[in-house]
Amino acid sequence: MFDIFKSMLKEEWRMHSNLFGNNGFSLFPVFIFLFAFLVSLVLPIFREIFTYAQIALGMHYLFLLLGGMIGAFGLMGREFMNRRFGQASLIAYSSRTLPVSERLIFANFLVKDIVYYFVLYVLPFIAGFSLAAALIQAENFHFPVTLLILLLTLSLSFMIGLSLVFFLSTIYAHSGKLLTSGLLASFILLLFVSGNPGSGSFYSLPSLSFFLLPSKNQFLLSSVLIIVPSVLSLVFLKVDFPQAKKSFPNSFSRLCERFGSYRYAAFVAKDLLDLKRSEGGFGKLIFSFLLPAALIWMLLSALEAVLPVLNTLILFSLILGVLSSSMYNWLTEYDIFASYAFFPLKPSDMIRSKLNSYLFLNLVPLILLVLLIFRIDPAVLLPALLLFIPISLYMVSILVYLTGLSPSINLYNGRTFALYTFSVMPLLLVNVILSMFSPFYAFINLLLLPLAFYLLGQGFRKWDRIESPRF
Amino acid sequence: MPAIERIDNAGSGITGFYRSLDMIEVKNLSKFYGSTKAVDSVSLSVERGELFGLLGPNGSGKTTMIKMLTGQIKPTSGSLKVHGVDVLEDPIRVRELVGVIPEQETPPSFLTAEEYLHFVAKVRKMEHYEAICERWFEFFDFKDQKNSLCKDLSRGTRQKLMFAQAFLHEPELAIIDEPLINLDPVMQRKVKDFLAGYVKNGGTIFISTHILEIAKQICTSIGIIYRGKLVYTGRMDNPLLQDGNLEEFFLELVSRPGNSDTCVSISAQYA
Repeated sequence: MFDIFKSMLKEEWRMHSNLFGNNGFSLFPVFIFLFAFLVSLVLPIFREIFTYAQIALGMHYLFLLLGGMIGAFGLMGREFMNRRFGQASLIAYSSRTLPVSERLIFANFLVKDIVYYFVLYVLPFIAGFSLAAALIQAENFHFPVTLLILLLTLSLSFMIGLSLVFFLSTIYAHSGKLLTSGLLASFILLLFVSGNPGSGSFYSLPSLSFFLLPSKNQFLLSSVLIIVPSVLSLVFLKVDFPQAKKSFPNSFSRLCERFGSYRYAAFVAKDLLDLKRSEGGFGKLIFSFLLPAALIWMLLSALEAVLPVLNTLILFSLILGVLSSSMYNWLTEYDIFASYAFFPLKPSDMIRSKLNSYLFLNLVPLILLVLLIFRIDPAVLLPALLLFIPISLYMVSILVYLTGLSPSINLYNGRTFALYTFSVMPLLLVNVILSMFSPFYAFINLLLLPLAFYLLGQGFRKWDRIESPRF
Repeated sequence: MPAIERIDNAGSGITGFYRSLDMIEVKNLSKFYGSTKAVDSVSLSVERGELFGLLGPNGSGKTTMIKMLTGQIKPTSGSLKVHGVDVLEDPIRVRELVGVIPEQETPPSFLTAEEYLHFVAKVRKMEHYEAICERWFEFFDFKDQKNSLCKDLSRGTRQKLMFAQAFLHEPELAIIDEPLINLDPVMQRKVKDFLAGYVKNGGTIFISTHILEIAKQICTSIGIIYRGKLVYTGRMDNPLLQDGNLEEFFLELVSRPGNSDTCVSISAQYA
């Protein structure tokens, strides 16, 4: 069993270093370390605004989300690997050729994900935070005992997120429609309940509770939340074998007809069918967008309860704009330019087509935002929209410029990720601070529109110049 | 020296008053990746109505040649015209005019076979393409799979689909990397007959392959590339290449120790 685990670890490392280049990829944990270190240096400022418990809450939910997002990659990771490396080229997808059971392979895969991403994300983050905490002598984050507990509890949060999403994806494999409608109903319920959340309920995350007040019970509860969903995922594991072939009537032509003479009709129709028919289907919209959005809304609502100066709706518009840009990642998951390089198309044509699909998909967060605003405070509709739209466009223009048609791959390059962060973080911080004064500051973000269009133009030229992009 | 004729090219979309009879003209074409010479000073021409086979062992530079011919990668030096269009100046126009089948079949995973052909027709701005698509499903005998997702198709069926997409817009020139790969013997025969007929009707085909049988059976002329250098070009009706001599000739060219310059002198003995 240990051989499979070791091979999977090697495979993961080689795959990443092959995709992102040895230097670029090995820099990634270093960048996480530096980022955590630099952000943590301003901890005393954060302590003026937030309590110790609130900072801990933010960190633990961040890692819960991170675990969930890595788990969600399992929903579409297989497709990505198949496109890049050919069919069944990973051990995880080789249960038909290896003389071991699917469960054993999946168990190894789960442990490998935990160990690998612990080293890649969790450890560098804690190391950066600890170094900063030791230097600035952060109150309550005592070195080394509290920081060692933090290492444990953030890891637990990460594993809870990972195992819960693996479990959800297992249910999805058995009954996608049931899970989708169940989650959608839960989401809507949460959205309406979250108007008046009991802020205390957020502290019931066992890993967070353990950090704030270490006890055997909280540790056991955290472990149960990791082990039980993982075991259930293993017991009810379902591998989608290729013989389950699907047939579809020609929806492409029908969609194209609906778009009429729209220039990018064929590409947008194809992108929508990719999303609908790929593993997870439109469920990806729930796992990777609506659930994180709901979680963020609840956190913001909780923060507003203790920090009335925050404008939750405006901040939510800002974060929704950032979150929306992840939709560009989804759209580029199903294509490599090599599939189109022999047609009369340039990389910029493909990027333009993806941007058109992106605008279509952005209708989802837009509608969500409008509904939320009408329910809570219609007066902020205009500033919220003037924040959401330019931020979403600016974020995607940065992605296009830096990563072209392969954001999910190129962002793992340490240098690119650093550039991306430095292009985005200051802007977000300024927006967060300004939002405390008046929602109408949002008009300033209109200035981002010409910048976004400029970056897009430069991005088109840049990617057209690059010869035969691999992805 | 390529043959030149004065032609009336009104409406052909090809600029210039004169058009060479050559559908492909390549002069001193090189492609280097660092110190690796993938293609080294290759010159060749393919006339209209020819079925030209570029032969060579694996890794000899065939796919790099095809990528340069179709403007997917830029040469390090040299010039090339395809269908009368300078590839370096207007690669998009070249790909509009030419049908291409790449080395690996890559139809998008989540479109069905029929949807993919319709998608290609839309990308190529074709109208009234439904009947043409239907004919290709019938020709390759896979009508029953036209509603299957491309990812679920067998490699052979995907190759059929790639074949169909390349000829959908009825190009005058098709460039094909390993045309018979993954096809069963029945389909191989069908494709070979199709290609031969296509050339008879005035089309031009450029194929790359390492399967000598294909060259023997259908090519009108061949070029042999080895370690990036074109070590032989000539017509297939050359008596030296008949009666099984092609295999011997090819093996002698590519299996001699030493560099490809040695091969040039070997080919000179045969010429």
